[in-house]
Amino acid sequence: MSAQTMKGFEQLEGLPEAVFKRLYQQPATALAIFRRMLPNLAKTFVMAMLFNPDPVPISNLEHWVHPDKNSLKEEAFAKLRQLYLVTEKQGTFALDPTFKNELRKALTGGGLPGSFGLPCDTDDKNKVDVAFLDKYATEQWESILHFMVGNEIPSFKRPSEGVVRLLLHGKLMEQSRMSSDPVITQVGFSFLLQEANSQVWTLLLLYLDMAEQVKEMNTNLWKLDLIIIICASQLRMDPVDILHFLFLLGSLELGQDYDMKNLTPTQKGMLEDLRDYGVVYQRKVCNAFEFLTRWISLITLKSSSRRFYPTRLATALTSEIRSIRSPAASLQNATSQGDGNGFLIIETNYRLYAYTSSPLQIAVLNIFAKLISRFPNLVTARITRDSIRQAISKGITAEQIIDYMTVNAHPQLRKNSPVLPPTVVDQIRLWQIEGERMKTTPGYLFKEFSTTSEFNAVCRYANDLGVLVWADHNKGNLFVSKHEQIADYIRKRAHAGR
Amino acid sequence: MATKRKGSITELSKPAAGTKRAKADVSSDEDAVDGDELEEDLPDEEEQGAITRVLDKFSFTGTRERSSTIPTGDAVTRLFKRDELSFLKMKPDHESRPMWINPRNGKIILESFSPLAPAAQDFLTAIAEPLSRPTYLHEYRITPHSLYAAVSVGLDPKDIVAVLDRFSKIPIPDEIVQFINGCTGSYGKVKLVLKHNRYFLESSDMKMLQILLKDEVISEQRINSDAGADGDGITKESAPKMGALVIPGTKIAAGIAQGQQIIHQNGFEGEEQSKMDSAEELFASVTALKEGEEDDDDDEEAEAVHSFEVCAEGVEKVQKQCLTLGYPLLEEYDFRNDSRNANLDMDLRPQAQIRHYQEKSLSKMFGNGRAKSGIIVLPCGAGKTLVGITAACTIKKSVVVLCTSSMSVVQWRNEFLKWSTINPDQIAIFTAENKERFRGDAGIIVTTYSMVTNSRTRSHDSQKMMDFLMGREWGLLLLDEVHVVPANIFRKVIHSIATHAKLGLTATLLREDDKIQDLNFLIGPKLYEANWMELSEQGHIARVQCAEVWCPMTTEFYQEYLNETPRKRALFYIMNPRKFQACQFLIDYHEKRGDKVIVFSDNVFALAAYARKLNKPYIYGGTPQSERLKILQNFQRNELINTVFLSKIGDTSLDLPEATCLIQVSSHYGSRRQEAQRLGRILRAKRRNDEGFNAFFYSLVSKDTAEMYYSSKRQAFLVDQGYAFKVITHLQGIEKLPGLAYDTPAERRELLQTVLLENSQNADVNSIEKESDGGFFDRTRSDYKRGPVVKRNMAKLSGLSGGDTMAYVEQNASANKKMKVAPGQQNKFMKKLKSEMVKRARG
Repeated sequence: MSAQTMKGFEQLEGLPEAVFKRLYQQPATALAIFRRMLPNLAKTFVMAMLFNPDPVPISNLEHWVHPDKNSLKEEAFAKLRQLYLVTEKQGTFALDPTFKNELRKALTGGGLPGSFGLPCDTDDKNKVDVAFLDKYATEQWESILHFMVGNEIPSFKRPSEGVVRLLLHGKLMEQSRMSSDPVITQVGFSFLLQEANSQVWTLLLLYLDMAEQVKEMNTNLWKLDLIIIICASQLRMDPVDILHFLFLLGSLELGQDYDMKNLTPTQKGMLEDLRDYGVVYQRKVCNAFEFLTRWISLITLKSSSRRFYPTRLATALTSEIRSIRSPAASLQNATSQGDGNGFLIIETNYRLYAYTSSPLQIAVLNIFAKLISRFPNLVTARITRDSIRQAISKGITAEQIIDYMTVNAHPQLRKNSPVLPPTVVDQIRLWQIEGERMKTTPGYLFKEFSTTSEFNAVCRYANDLGVLVWADHNKGNLFVSKHEQIADYIRKRAHAGR
Repeated sequence: MATKRKGSITELSKPAAGTKRAKADVSSDEDAVDGDELEEDLPDEEEQGAITRVLDKFSFTGTRERSSTIPTGDAVTRLFKRDELSFLKMKPDHESRPMWINPRNGKIILESFSPLAPAAQDFLTAIAEPLSRPTYLHEYRITPHSLYAAVSVGLDPKDIVAVLDRFSKIPIPDEIVQFINGCTGSYGKVKLVLKHNRYFLESSDMKMLQILLKDEVISEQRINSDAGADGDGITKESAPKMGALVIPGTKIAAGIAQGQQIIHQNGFEGEEQSKMDSAEELFASVTALKEGEEDDDDDEEAEAVHSFEVCAEGVEKVQKQCLTLGYPLLEEYDFRNDSRNANLDMDLRPQAQIRHYQEKSLSKMFGNGRAKSGIIVLPCGAGKTLVGITAACTIKKSVVVLCTSSMSVVQWRNEFLKWSTINPDQIAIFTAENKERFRGDAGIIVTTYSMVTNSRTRSHDSQKMMDFLMGREWGLLLLDEVHVVPANIFRKVIHSIATHAKLGLTATLLREDDKIQDLNFLIGPKLYEANWMELSEQGHIARVQCAEVWCPMTTEFYQEYLNETPRKRALFYIMNPRKFQACQFLIDYHEKRGDKVIVFSDNVFALAAYARKLNKPYIYGGTPQSERLKILQNFQRNELINTVFLSKIGDTSLDLPEATCLIQVSSHYGSRRQEAQRLGRILRAKRRNDEGFNAFFYSLVSKDTAEMYYSSKRQAFLVDQGYAFKVITHLQGIEKLPGLAYDTPAERRELLQTVLLENSQNADVNSIEKESDGGFFDRTRSDYKRGPVVKRNMAKLSGLSGGDTMAYVEQNASANKKMKVAPGQQNKFMKKLKSEMVKRARG
């Protein structure tokens, strides 16, 4: 699990206890949280406690961990407590009963039928296959990304207003004064450099965030699309419901059609939006009356089509496989055998070769490299100081660029360790710190000591504490990052002196 | 460049030099200034024009227009200007083929990890210029010159296209096919052959000769011989083959030495072919194709060559005219049939085994049994000298060797004695100190460029020597470090010495101006260029770790640096105390590891200051020859002398196999060549084949100064060869080094004072010292601007009084006369005084 996906979940971790308790009521969600949000060690602990009827002494768990790896253990414990998965009592851990129950169900296959989605019992007249779903997902998702980098491509249609609204809400794009179309922001650029799975999560979490905010808005009814969201809010777009559905999607099977029967109204409303992202596929009835039908469907709880298909974007939501880097790549994964998903070769002479024909990937490369020429399946580019500085000025960090290149490195490069030529990596970092000459340290200045000996003593004391930032022995000034203990110390000395 | 120089032709005119200097001053902050460059007389306008015409004809500009209609692309099309080629069709099996061709500029990108890559690389080095050869993807470019070279080694345009097509992922675009045909159609079709001391224009295409004969200038120079002449006076004979020619030192030669009779039925290439691995088969198949044709056509007509004779005096005119017509002459020397020039009895010593790449480069030169003129590019330390010697031993005629300094003259002579069986009497040296001739009819003369091109008055001895050089015919002219001399000096050398074949040797065929192109026409095509990384992997040259050490400027130095005019800034970043400390630390570190360290500084003041402070020996232009040799010998043998400081005189042709670590303190702006040449000093490290051995190359750079910019420029060439420069921002443990210099602010202030003083005393501290011998090559432009420079030299009294063949010349005889004040013209003050006296006397 990459650092970036973890970042996305921090937002979830801040949810109140009650929400978590409700989340655990669904086996799919319990399983997804177990898979996606726990570090490996924590998973082991959970498994140990899962089928144990009694609380487990903490010391027992501690025994399993090598003393050297205490930090990992602490992290695991912290995570378990943070997610309210365990209750601590007299040195023992007890798993949250709801969670325990539901996870057991998920693992043993118990529980209500359809708790992992209800497959349709009748055959679809226009059944779609996996290839179609992949194509659909890729098109939908890339049209969003393309829209962000400002590429209007005939074959990709402009994403729906809802998507645009979401991007604006998440500050991935902002309305520019120059043109009617929104333009990408710094946040948006770093979003582009993430791997696809975390991009999906970022967007879905933004969706959750927006749904909650919309609840609080009542009055702005000046746009038709907003009405629908308002409608959604009137129908109580519950975050727990949304999360349940997101986690449920992760455990659905690709290529299978599912019935909407079991879904809550919130979830049915969500389907419309998820369809725009390419996360699920649902046949539309009529484009011209889309708004109307959506509206009606929400009111009347009657959908255009009863069935929906999760796409690869959905089924990968809770998987941990890192290989899913972009929809295009995952598509390639599905169709061809090899490990051909890395496409970047970076040479020690700062030339960059990308085995790609995807306009999106090229557009992303253009963020930090100077493009030179383009063949049908190869793009040559060059990393220069200017190109990197430009990227950095857009708010992208050197680390993001390096991460992106590492993740997408060509199989040839992967034979090396480290994957990227270290000189290039160093240089990119150096180009970044070139602009960071000034470092600010907040702190406190002490001056006008009565005697030199006092100054020296305080200086030494501060140094011992590790709070001394700077001292000028000639002028008798010193600068520390924390002042309380220093002040105490000076007072004590003053008393002792008297 | 030609257009700017138009003007006076004959004299080294002062105003012209002035204008050029003005240009140089403007660009002096850039990298264009080139130290080794000669200020020379201006090129023959007409001829330069011709060259430009030829070059223009074969650039891609003409072909570009046609294909400007691109199918509408997608969203990112606009990000690529001209090189949006996504409309090209890939071949269905493109994955198994290793390269792409850009039809717009002839650039080729090659996957070096493809199984076909080794074969493709061999082929591409023959037909294209390597641009960059790092680990994975190599770039080449097809240029008129590279095709010229390809044709001259005997490749056929049809074969070139066929093999390209075999390797390419995309079908060869029409533009490229046209380009190849266009270039090869005119190149190398006509050869100038010196046979039995008569000059012939030779071509396998009869029509070509007829075209030439229609030209007035050429037909004037033609000699009609009766024998064997058909209607047009064009003779026909069978094409030469390499036949039984054996390049000494090669595997075949070794075979013969063992007494095995090898019959070369198919000529050298056939022999070579049989040795090739299956991986190389593809390249070989090019030649095989040709030979196959030969077999089919028993008809003599197919391989017949036609020729007509031109008179010796007219050769130059004919050459010029052919260039204008767009059929540059390829020069070949049929040395085996040259009976007039005496043979030189020499051979390679049996222990001399030449390496595979040397063999490859020589086989290009002697491909068809004759000697072609051209340039061979090998990395420093890869045995250029041996290639030159082997070539000389193959031709076995009199040889002139031109090198850059008297130090390398001595080295060349020693190498000749070491590797060949030449009689020491037959190899002579011609330098400022030494003017001898060889004994016998044939021999070798080793001299410097400056000795030969020097147009100023010569001493009697050297004049006699020059007459000797110019008065006879030579078999081979060996030009060492061929890049250092701009093309126009060459013309002079080539004209003044009558030679049949010319071989240029260099490691770095690059200049910051574009004069390097001219060499192609003036010397010959680039016959071979080795891949640095490949040789390094095979252990022929040392593996090198390159690093750029960033030394922050101290506050005081940076302040002064910022306050100073750009021209005078250099000394501050060179003398930066932190840089000094880094240098000290690195020397200390590497001496403890047992490395022998060379420190380079272009700036002599800094060189002396560094060396004195660290108590190490240093050599610069002013160091007498004997002292130089003593220091170098000590460096090589004495265990106590592990570091030597060198000025730029050590950049080239200095053979120090002991050195394993190199530190660069100051350098010549953005000169890529200097960087490569300096790296070359450690490539020949003796210990290179030790397990895990690495040589070290450090470039010390003062942070946030102009040096950073130059540094990245300088590295461009090496980086494209696949070297990686690691940036070191902090040297671990530098603070703990005992006796670290300039550790206290007081010391640093003192140093700053010295630097300030030096800066104010020397009008131009940037001026880099001149090399003492010759004194011609290292003249910087500023010298020309300032005119004569007063220089203080150490000399013996006996020398000054004329003992060491020194003669005084009165340079400016009339100046003294001007000193005398004409009667009546008096100083104002004196006039006034006088008039007052007169008044007083009256009063």
